Amino acid sequence: MELFANLAHGFVVAFSPINLLMCLIGALVGTLVGVLPGIGTIATVAMLLPITFGLPPVGALIMLAGIYYGAQYGGSTTSILVNIPGEATSVVTAIDGHQMAKQGRAGPALAIAAIGSFFAGCVATILIAVLGAPLTKLALAFGPAEYFSLMCLGLIFAVVLAKGSVLKAIAMIVFGLLLSMVGSDIETGASRMAFNIPELADGLGFATVAMGVFGFAEIIRNLDHGAEMNRDLVQQKITGLMPTRKDLTDSTPAILRGTVLGSILGILPGGGAVIASFAAYTLEKKLARDPRRFGRGAIEGVAAPESANNAAAQTSFIPLLTLGIPPNAVMALMVGAMTIHGIVPGPQVMQKQPDLVWGMIASMWIGNLMLIIINLPLVGIWVRLLRVPYRLMFPSIVIFCAIGIYSVNNAPVDVILAGVFGLVGYWLIKHDFEPAPLLLGMVLGPLMEENLRRALLISRGDWSVFVTRPLSAVLLAIAAGLLVLTVLPVLRAKRDEVFTESEN
Amino acid sequence: MADTMGHTASTTTARNTSAALGIFLLALAPQIFELVWSFGTIFGWGSGRGPLQVVAAHATALATSIPDLLVILSAVPGAIAKYLSTGSSGQVVKATLSSDALLALIYSYPLFAVAIGSLFVTIRGAQDYIGGVMLAALALFALWASSDLQGMHGFSFGAGTAPRMFGVLLLALGAGIAVTGLATDGPNVGHYSWRGPFFVAAAIVFFALAIRPLGLVVTAFASFQIAALGSHETRWIEAVIVGACLTAGCAVLFPYILGLPMPMFPRFLIQ
Repeated sequence: MELFANLAHGFVVAFSPINLLMCLIGALVGTLVGVLPGIGTIATVAMLLPITFGLPPVGALIMLAGIYYGAQYGGSTTSILVNIPGEATSVVTAIDGHQMAKQGRAGPALAIAAIGSFFAGCVATILIAVLGAPLTKLALAFGPAEYFSLMCLGLIFAVVLAKGSVLKAIAMIVFGLLLSMVGSDIETGASRMAFNIPELADGLGFATVAMGVFGFAEIIRNLDHGAEMNRDLVQQKITGLMPTRKDLTDSTPAILRGTVLGSILGILPGGGAVIASFAAYTLEKKLARDPRRFGRGAIEGVAAPESANNAAAQTSFIPLLTLGIPPNAVMALMVGAMTIHGIVPGPQVMQKQPDLVWGMIASMWIGNLMLIIINLPLVGIWVRLLRVPYRLMFPSIVIFCAIGIYSVNNAPVDVILAGVFGLVGYWLIKHDFEPAPLLLGMVLGPLMEENLRRALLISRGDWSVFVTRPLSAVLLAIAAGLLVLTVLPVLRAKRDEVFTESEN
Repeated sequence: MADTMGHTASTTTARNTSAALGIFLLALAPQIFELVWSFGTIFGWGSGRGPLQVVAAHATALATSIPDLLVILSAVPGAIAKYLSTGSSGQVVKATLSSDALLALIYSYPLFAVAIGSLFVTIRGAQDYIGGVMLAALALFALWASSDLQGMHGFSFGAGTAPRMFGVLLLALGAGIAVTGLATDGPNVGHYSWRGPFFVAAAIVFFALAIRPLGLVVTAFASFQIAALGSHETRWIEAVIVGACLTAGCAVLFPYILGLPMPMFPRFLIQ
């Protein structure tokens, strides 16, 4: 029970009025910046990082946690309202969340996202306190071969979450993998498919591609003839801001499962947190009595990935604190902030600076609490944004996205690339290809290649390593099983959805 | 698909010709793109080959690669076996061929073949067929773009191994989707409108080109108006007022509150 004593100590540190105020300000600012379309979590945290420099270490970290959760929730808000995911994890939220918004249920979607995140945050906080150190062993059991298999599994999730043809979804994943190859090779440094454009040397940015294929493509499509009626209907039938009792009972099991799945996957550094939201969505779709509701505004499709995402974000602190490995770009920024305040993440940090570590863990919970306090009242305001006439909304989104993309690297080329990907996304929509698998392929591509290369190097070119190592074999077997489960109904009876669903 | 046979046949022929023409243009798209790009060199923008050089190089590459194609075709079975075993495709051929000739061989010729083939088949699901062909074209282009990279050496991956692997995979999947479009009935290609895509893209390109020389205030306002042209619902007075307010908001928010380094006003006014 020493751990709970530690946690209590952490709360004592975090609960001082000044720290609570810091957290509140952080969450508020994070939400307000994160909600701007075109500015994702990474950009928000990077932009707001400097304002914490002048604060004492604990206060700064607490404020950063607030900013992080605020930014993440703000990103989910834009995914739901205008279908622009700012980062990989909110891609899944956009699928059903935006459909809900189109049906006038943006309020419940936003509320359930906040509630699911809060619940997952609470569970994950306790989990870190209880299992933090032992769980690290799980991450250590993962070698390159296991990671490669995990990435394969993650990519198969993307196939399952696609609505239409399996073949097209796989093609989109491979297209994404190919896009992720652009830039410098990690091992040899050779420039790949960059055509001597300096801005491409670092690869295509996730934000650039996501903003293009989701944001700009969505805008262009909404400007098509015949789309106006669709949009006007949406604006008139906004019903209820809060989830109904039925929504809550529907999403409770989804939140629970999402939390468990997210907590486990979040521990794996590198890609774990990204896969979590996809995995949670897939699980819900597989367990659902009527899987066809997914992709058409199922509330479980918002609740599960949002809670998984938040749980994973929380437990991804475990590898950061114990192994010193930042699991994603935002965490890498957090490490930067911690280093500035004299904390070097790694095995000793828990013993050497218990104040900071436990204060931070406690502050993550407080960050979640602030989030729900700030956002439940704000839901009404966000939903009202949908009432802005589209003829004024779309140029504004274009401008915000352009400024957001430009500000990431101060590179005009990035803005042009996003525009190109907007046209690509429009083309994809016209040919009934889905952009979500493409984005997942793009995020997991570099990790997959790296681990494949490393695994084969260690096994001296022996491909059987992926099936002889037990953990890797299990992961691959699950992936194969899922793929078969997805393909079977198609083989048995031709899916009618592809033809009936032409409006999307 | 309850059309009468005669009706379907006549519309299919018309569509096939335009599909073949489209694929033919797609086969020459990189060359055309480089030509358009090269006009810039006349005015001294950018570096690279001039228009005449581009035309000459690609024309010779497209014409003179035919004998190479025959040589390679005769050696294909051996090359595939070698590619699968070592991942280094045709090192001998590559040493002698220019990048333009490789483009013709890897990208343009196969698509010419597809374009000609499209004339003789019944396209039952145009959406899938065209989509699949375009994905395959992307894959071929990626294969060409990564053709200068090192392949496998021993059992360790070279820089080019993974891109080529995924390129071949995408090629196969694109072909598979195209075949689906031939084998099963499917929806036709959706209607493309030009107004929305054109003006939204124009607004984005204008923003990218103008943000550095003209600054945030001018660029954001002008881009807003250009994007607003993309919809026929736009009311101009409203658009100007909202555009001005948005610009003012952005001008306060991004450079001051968020502290992003961004030029505010045109460069020539400040100096």
